[in-house]
Amino acid sequence: MKKILISLLLVLLFVGAAFTTGQKEAAAAKEKLAPFITIYEGAGSVEIAGKVAKLIKEKLGVEIRFTSESHGVIHSRIKAEAPNFTGDMALNIGFPLMVEAKEKGWSVSYDSPSWRGAGDVWVDKDGFWWNQGNWAFVLVGNKDLLAKKGYTLPESWDELLDAKWKDQVVMPSALTSGTAFMMVYSFVTLYGLNTGKGEEAGWQYLEALNKNVAQYTRGGNVPTDLVGRGEFMLGISSDEMVMPRIRGGYPLLYKVPKEGIGFGSAGVIILKGTKKLYTCQKVTDFIGSTEFCKFWSELAGYVTKDPSVKPALYGGIPRYIPNINQAWAVANKGRLLEEWKKRIGRAPK
Amino acid sequence: MNEESRPMLVLREIYKTFGSVKALKGVSSEVGKGELVTFLGPSGCGKTTLLRCIGGLAKPDAGDVILDGEIINDLPPDKRGTQMCFQNYALFPHMTVAENIGYGPQVHKWKKKRIRERVEELLHLVLLEGMGDRPIDKLSGGQQQRVALARALALEPKILLLDEPLSNLDANLRVLMRASLREIQKRVNITTIFVTHDQFEAMSISDRLVVMHDGIVEQIGTPGEIYEKPSSEFVASFIGYVNILNGVVRNLGSETEPAVISTELGDLQVLRSEDDIEVNQRVFLIIRPETIQVRPYGEATGINEFKSTVITSMYGGSTIKYTVDIQGKNIVIDQFDPSNVGIFGIGEKVTVGIPQNVHILKK
Amino acid sequence: MNEVAEAGIPRSSRALWQSIKDFVAARTISTTGIILFLLLATFLLWPLIAVLIKSIAGSEGFTLQHYQNFLTKPYYYQSLINTLILGVLTTSVCIGVGFIISYITIRGPRFLRKPLKMLALLPLIAPPYIFALSLIILLGRNGIITKALNLNLSIYGFSGCVIAQTLAFLPLAYLMIENSLSTLNPNLEDSAANLGASQGKILRSIIIPLVTPGILKAALIVFVMAISEFGNVAILCGRTPFLAPDIYTIVTGIEMDFSMGSVLSMFLILPCAVIFVIQNYLIKGKGYTTILGKPVAAEPRRINPAILIPFLLVSIFAGGLVLLTFGIVGMGTLTNIVGVDNTFTLNHLLDWRSNMAMMNSLRISLLSGFFGAIIGVLLAYVIVRGNFRGRTALEGIAIAGFTLPGTVLGIGYIFAFNKPPLLLTGTMMILVINCAFRFLAVGMEAGINKLHQLSIEVEEASLNLGASAATTFRRIVLPIVFPAFMYGFMYVFMTSMVSLSAVIFLVSPGQNLASVFIFQWANYGYIGLASATTYKLIAIVGASLAIIQALSRWTGLRPTAGGGGA
Repeated sequence: MKKILISLLLVLLFVGAAFTTGQKEAAAAKEKLAPFITIYEGAGSVEIAGKVAKLIKEKLGVEIRFTSESHGVIHSRIKAEAPNFTGDMALNIGFPLMVEAKEKGWSVSYDSPSWRGAGDVWVDKDGFWWNQGNWAFVLVGNKDLLAKKGYTLPESWDELLDAKWKDQVVMPSALTSGTAFMMVYSFVTLYGLNTGKGEEAGWQYLEALNKNVAQYTRGGNVPTDLVGRGEFMLGISSDEMVMPRIRGGYPLLYKVPKEGIGFGSAGVIILKGTKKLYTCQKVTDFIGSTEFCKFWSELAGYVTKDPSVKPALYGGIPRYIPNINQAWAVANKGRLLEEWKKRIGRAPK
Repeated sequence: MNEESRPMLVLREIYKTFGSVKALKGVSSEVGKGELVTFLGPSGCGKTTLLRCIGGLAKPDAGDVILDGEIINDLPPDKRGTQMCFQNYALFPHMTVAENIGYGPQVHKWKKKRIRERVEELLHLVLLEGMGDRPIDKLSGGQQQRVALARALALEPKILLLDEPLSNLDANLRVLMRASLREIQKRVNITTIFVTHDQFEAMSISDRLVVMHDGIVEQIGTPGEIYEKPSSEFVASFIGYVNILNGVVRNLGSETEPAVISTELGDLQVLRSEDDIEVNQRVFLIIRPETIQVRPYGEATGINEFKSTVITSMYGGSTIKYTVDIQGKNIVIDQFDPSNVGIFGIGEKVTVGIPQNVHILKK
Repeated sequence: MNEVAEAGIPRSSRALWQSIKDFVAARTISTTGIILFLLLATFLLWPLIAVLIKSIAGSEGFTLQHYQNFLTKPYYYQSLINTLILGVLTTSVCIGVGFIISYITIRGPRFLRKPLKMLALLPLIAPPYIFALSLIILLGRNGIITKALNLNLSIYGFSGCVIAQTLAFLPLAYLMIENSLSTLNPNLEDSAANLGASQGKILRSIIIPLVTPGILKAALIVFVMAISEFGNVAILCGRTPFLAPDIYTIVTGIEMDFSMGSVLSMFLILPCAVIFVIQNYLIKGKGYTTILGKPVAAEPRRINPAILIPFLLVSIFAGGLVLLTFGIVGMGTLTNIVGVDNTFTLNHLLDWRSNMAMMNSLRISLLSGFFGAIIGVLLAYVIVRGNFRGRTALEGIAIAGFTLPGTVLGIGYIFAFNKPPLLLTGTMMILVINCAFRFLAVGMEAGINKLHQLSIEVEEASLNLGASAATTFRRIVLPIVFPAFMYGFMYVFMTSMVSLSAVIFLVSPGQNLASVFIFQWANYGYIGLASATTYKLIAIVGASLAIIQALSRWTGLRPTAGGGGA
């Protein structure tokens, strides 16, 4: 009996420990930085999210507890949780969410001193969102695999339709990835709207490309890794992880094809109902600083609000597909995704 | 040696060790044709191991198992002509009675018709006619036992090996099954080895007994021989004797005069019969409880009479069992027909008479 | 008690109070039973019903529109067919190989038994998708074997999913089949051999028919796991659609189509339910009463080489694959970019970003282990000792919870507990409850087995001696069922640490779990980090189990399944 008591006691101790070390959120004083905040990270890259968290911890002393998922997934998540969010703010989320959060009243406004005068592209005129930077998608290729076949990285998006790339191309799935949505509206713009043939021509390109696509990945950065590790020869990937991967020793090639690349904005919102508003505002201020812009464009190739900072990946502003209209894309998002689903994502292979 | 007189089974100096445990230390024995021989002994004496060595489920380290004139040491169980019946019957629970009995013939690819006939024949033999289609778990313990027996007999083995076959039955059923087993064995005239730790069961069923202890054979003989003349203290106590006295021979006596042996009770006069003893030899005296007289307390004047006190008294209908104290030694007495002398209560003083013809065992 | 009140209560009402107390005392078991039933209904049945409701709820009332969508779009029914094929293939191979390994570890050469058993059980402490990682490292397009042999193959698709799922759920199949094979009386085989049956014949006519109930039980569990634990599948499916990962995508992705997610869930349950019914029906007809007597330890028989050699080959091959997997994932842990830059590095191991998730996992698994085991044992007691109707239903619900696809219970919890009065989404408690209730059947079954060994007379004796029901439970029953409690605790703990399919829908920011964290890393392509973190998780689970084992050895209370096994 004594033995049982002892062991029960131990188990209880265990459980007690588990409880006490649990989430005891200290009520944050109004004008004091909270020890930690909980954020949604739309990077879909634990690595990038982790580096951002580390920098903020170093500079502000605030611990960032994050959930990192693709833009699309984070978007769904916030939508599902509204209006009782588990996080305090969201970083690096896609433009559609930035817009929807403002419309639906999920975010709170703030006049951040470090963002004043940055212009409409970078900060919402009412202060509901801040554009951390524009990211884009590029063509990536595996140096070794291409060399083995004697191929070179295509110069244009058209070349990707060549049958020799069958099952060698990876790109993200528009069902989960904001990057993929960006690709959809970019190609629809490039091949459809810009040529005057209408959207349909854009879809025809995507359908033709579909024949060569081996896999649609969950996140926009996954193709960079898959191609880098030599799982596939070519990828259409978010540009965020290209530089870090090349630095990390992956045999990666990347290219901005001659037609240009599409882009999207990724930014910050503060979620309504946070008990750590002050801390969130300070984090927002910091993200608007030149220091962060520099870090951000060096780390992930973002084009930021600070013109003095040149993104390492492009050495300047890259060649964009003309006439990309994010507002149009966001307004037509549901329809575009439904179309993608029908033609590609949920079409029998 | 001619066919008829040759024993069915000969065991020659069988040794078997499990790890550091010596289970069999050179066991030899013979079993005649049609005989039922019981290996009797306490658990751990090696009797089951010996049976398994015969059946081919264990391989002796040394020695020979000779069945019907052929050394079968290296033959697998199914090539030996032996058939084992397990303590737990080991009936196949997913088959019917008939399927169980017919399993052996079926494995040996008998014709369907022949299998059916054989199964019927065996069901008749073990008194389970008409029960062939029953599932095994719908049978009573005794019926399961008989199915196991029938299954073992199906291929007409040369020898049947029964490992404590009655130990899972309750007491009454056990007695009935004992008789029925013996009857079936006699009817088929099959050589059988029976393993048990129950001495009454062994006595009542066997032609001969092999009493085993600690990996060796203590005594071989008919039930009568074993009971009348146990060859060692172990055998004596194992087959149920409780009154064993330590003695030293004082006087050999003669044809007519009893010998005198001094024991814990005092000097006893004992008729020597054929026992080969010497003066000063240390011996055991084995006294059967039913031969001891008890009468109301009086002068202990007769031969071998002692004063004593009743310690326990258990009424058992036709018998009454006493334990009495003589000189600090407990003696058990079975008294038949107590109405002659009356029943004695606990604490009562009585006079006890030890008979002159007791079994003397040399130490 | 207040003295005035005491004095003021009239005699009759004190008698009433006493009679209420008596009533409660007399009905302790039924009362507990009712409470347990309510708990099970809330946390296992209600989420399931919530999924069903969601799948037939339209904007204005009942609709079958979602089902019609499912059945008319080739993509979805293709996904269903793929899922079924995956389930059947995985289950068949798992059962076959599981049986072979069980046979070898029970009847095979002695020196092989223990190591083989250890190997076969090893994957239990690792997240199942460890096999997806190792397959990519070995057989990916740039995999070690692919490159060495210059192969042109793709593991992204059917083949990869089947291989990974098979290896992942082989331990489960093995564990359950071994459990039923080890209770088989060796005398049955001796008898059959004695009657002249060859070993092949014995296998066919005796062993396989007798372990069939165990095999069917294992088949159900493996099938459910194979189609619902989608870690491997999500990583390896490529463009081949399967239900479980699609539910994940539909529910968490841009579509956020909960109705369609529910319909997919219903189709995931359907085959499981069919098997559940068939299995119960089949086993009912074939329930063999325990064979009398205790089996004598059989001397290992020489197994016929015609059986031994192929069995050994299969066992060693399977064991080798497990070993290879752990080795290769270890290699992934210690190399810079496996397959690309195979230089040694400790960077992945020294990456501590998963710490928080590890702590959360540990905390949640301990809690759910504790609650799961307690509720499981209480259930066992109520089921064995109670005499109210619906006890079998109680047992059935708990077992159904265990056999339900985790994916379905995951999304069921979202629907069931996202509004007051049961607002649990976003809390840590929802994870604890989910894990505890999904797996409590294991502790329950072990408890039932233990209690069946304890005769009711012992408890009655204690009651006769004047002990109250509570005291009897504490002093007599508890010590006896404690090993079952420990077994339940260990199982729930271990499974909660590594399982993914349900909790992935329930984690919230700042409360990530290790298994989800690693899966995301793997799914987003970070093989090195995923491998390293997997190893850390394995180390934590292994160490925790070792501590628990040591603790029970020290207290003399070993966890035992009591022949239950799951």
